Amino acid sequence: MTAPLLHVDNLHTYFYSSGKQAFIRSVDGVAFDIAEGETLGLVGESGSGKSITALSIMGLISEGPGVIRGNIHFKTNGTIQNLLEHLDTYVTVSGQNNRIMQVNKDLVGWEKNVDKIMRDIRGKKIGMIFQNPKSSLNPFQPVGKQIMESILLHTSVTNPEEARERALTWLDRVKIDSPRLRFDNYPYGLSGGMCQRAMIAMALAGEPLLLIADEPTTGLDATIQSKIIDLLAELKSEFGITILLISHDISIISRLSERVAVMYGGTIVEYGPSRDVLARDRSAKHPYTQALLASIPNEENLTENGYLKAIEGDVLDTINIPEGCRFQNRCSRCTDAIREQCMHEEPPLHEIAKGHHIRCWLFES
Amino acid sequence: MRLQKDIIFDAGYLRVNPMPKTILEVIDLKKHFTHRKGIFSGLKEKHQSIPAVDGVSFYLKQNETVGLVGESGCGKTTIGRTILRLTPPTSGKIIFDNKDITHMSHNELLHLRGEMQMIFQDLDAALNPKMRVRDILKEAITVHHELSDTEVSARMQDLLDQVSLKKSKLANFPHELSGGEKRRVGIARVLSVGARLIIADEPTSALDVSIQAQVVNLLKDLQKHLGLSYLFISHDLRVVELISHKVAVMYLGKIVEIGLANRIATKARHPYTTILWSSLVEKQSRESDASRQVKTWGVFDYERPYSGCRFAPRCPVYAANGRPDVCTNPETEPVLRDTGDAHRVACHFPL
Repeated sequence: MTAPLLHVDNLHTYFYSSGKQAFIRSVDGVAFDIAEGETLGLVGESGSGKSITALSIMGLISEGPGVIRGNIHFKTNGTIQNLLEHLDTYVTVSGQNNRIMQVNKDLVGWEKNVDKIMRDIRGKKIGMIFQNPKSSLNPFQPVGKQIMESILLHTSVTNPEEARERALTWLDRVKIDSPRLRFDNYPYGLSGGMCQRAMIAMALAGEPLLLIADEPTTGLDATIQSKIIDLLAELKSEFGITILLISHDISIISRLSERVAVMYGGTIVEYGPSRDVLARDRSAKHPYTQALLASIPNEENLTENGYLKAIEGDVLDTINIPEGCRFQNRCSRCTDAIREQCMHEEPPLHEIAKGHHIRCWLFES
Repeated sequence: MRLQKDIIFDAGYLRVNPMPKTILEVIDLKKHFTHRKGIFSGLKEKHQSIPAVDGVSFYLKQNETVGLVGESGCGKTTIGRTILRLTPPTSGKIIFDNKDITHMSHNELLHLRGEMQMIFQDLDAALNPKMRVRDILKEAITVHHELSDTEVSARMQDLLDQVSLKKSKLANFPHELSGGEKRRVGIARVLSVGARLIIADEPTSALDVSIQAQVVNLLKDLQKHLGLSYLFISHDLRVVELISHKVAVMYLGKIVEIGLANRIATKARHPYTTILWSSLVEKQSRESDASRQVKTWGVFDYERPYSGCRFAPRCPVYAANGRPDVCTNPETEPVLRDTGDAHRVACHFPL
């Protein structure tokens, strides 16, 4: 078996809230891998740690303490590199009962180390489409120039004329009408959908091995949304690009990805092939995934009197993570037999079928 | 003050009266924004005007929800703001509760403001960040009525119960609340003045599916108990389809189709409506990729010149029919025509 393109293991990214004098445990032990040519969907409510996971992989967390534990193995040119190499030399962690209570991190030294490792990775090997294209593009530069910059920095092309031609082909490839005209447009002159396309062109122009798409369609109209998804599907089949797709919209995830990881409160609660995880009729499912699927507004999910099946309660506050299962206070499937365990012990990820993992005491026999 | 009792009586009245009265009627409403190019060019040429809302008519009955859908930039929010007179209309008529409010003075409007309210799209901007939830609600409760402190706190408790918000949240600032809680505060504020007509502008966008479902259920509940009428503006077709009784589809400042929600979703007659609904990613993922035809409609552009039907440049039916003149002739711009079953469509070649 060949090694996966990206293998994330036991990733912890924390922030410190000085007001509350406590850690915000945004990413708390996330592990997954992506094989070459595969699309992995990362789905979950806002605040579940999806974007922070992506930013941690890119080494873009600048607030302290940030990434404090874990391994990110990335395969480049046949060799496997740990993007969090030497992390232990900068961080000391202490705590009890598997819970980190204190972190000492040499932020300056760590940043230097990250920059050294990531210089050849960011943009070149891992491209990223950011959540808000309008604010992620440079407002003072024409979009074409920005794509050119990405080509000159990350590919073997050094001639500006050639880079310009390439940028134009990329604009054409992401289906921007009349690329020659649009090349000189500033981001404010483009619509939201077009900015998103320019952003995708920019990420792809560096010819990365892995593309991280963070909510690529959020805030766009339904018609534009379906076009962006079509575009990503096309790029996938045409170039065989590997994608980590982050979204809170399950319909988008199910359309594009082969495997899905469902995140809740900083951990992955269910992980497996899309058709198993996102199938409505499967009973072997984490209660959170089940509730999430049931709350999608459509005819099948309506109750008799025309109401939607909402998940009661609020998204988990990652400052006060309860002892035991993170979903316990909103869970409707907790039975008396396992209640004690749910309240006091965090369930492990349990493999219920080949490649299908669930973090719930219900499936722990 | 219009207490909850009276409103509940209204809802009871509706149950015995099968013909609810019309609470809002909009007749040929227009709102044009002028677009100035620069100081000097402004002197030379006439100002270019953007018809954000260009002749819209519809009505809203009591206890009814009308959904307003369309792509961003088609004028949905402008309609909402114009109906409440937050921006003055260019022409047309707005009739609220049998009173023409199109040219009403601000002093007169002040009395009606309590009965018609808006839930704003961006609650981070609509809730004062320096006020606690308690003060935000108190201000809203006392703005139209003089009440003693005990009455205010009783009313506040009522409101919290209605929107199921925890009492402990009263001491919080808006930034300490989650997205769903912020929505609840926004809704409580609207209810506190005794609103009967609520214009909900994208009340569920930017919320997670689970929280979105909570808010939709809350709005439905409130409608049932208080007899509210909603104009529900959203670009999320799935939510609109479920919450609305009637749906109006807008394109470039005009309503192109209006009818009962399930008919719009399943038996639409206007090509734009069918395209809009078929672009739902959820629907597409159920169809196999092979059977899904590739749709190549152009981009929505406000400043693109058009004549006749506004949708013609993007319309597949227009192209399939050999680009007939009737679609692009300004003399024969399609108007809303009744096609039976309370369904009206503005198209020369309805499907």
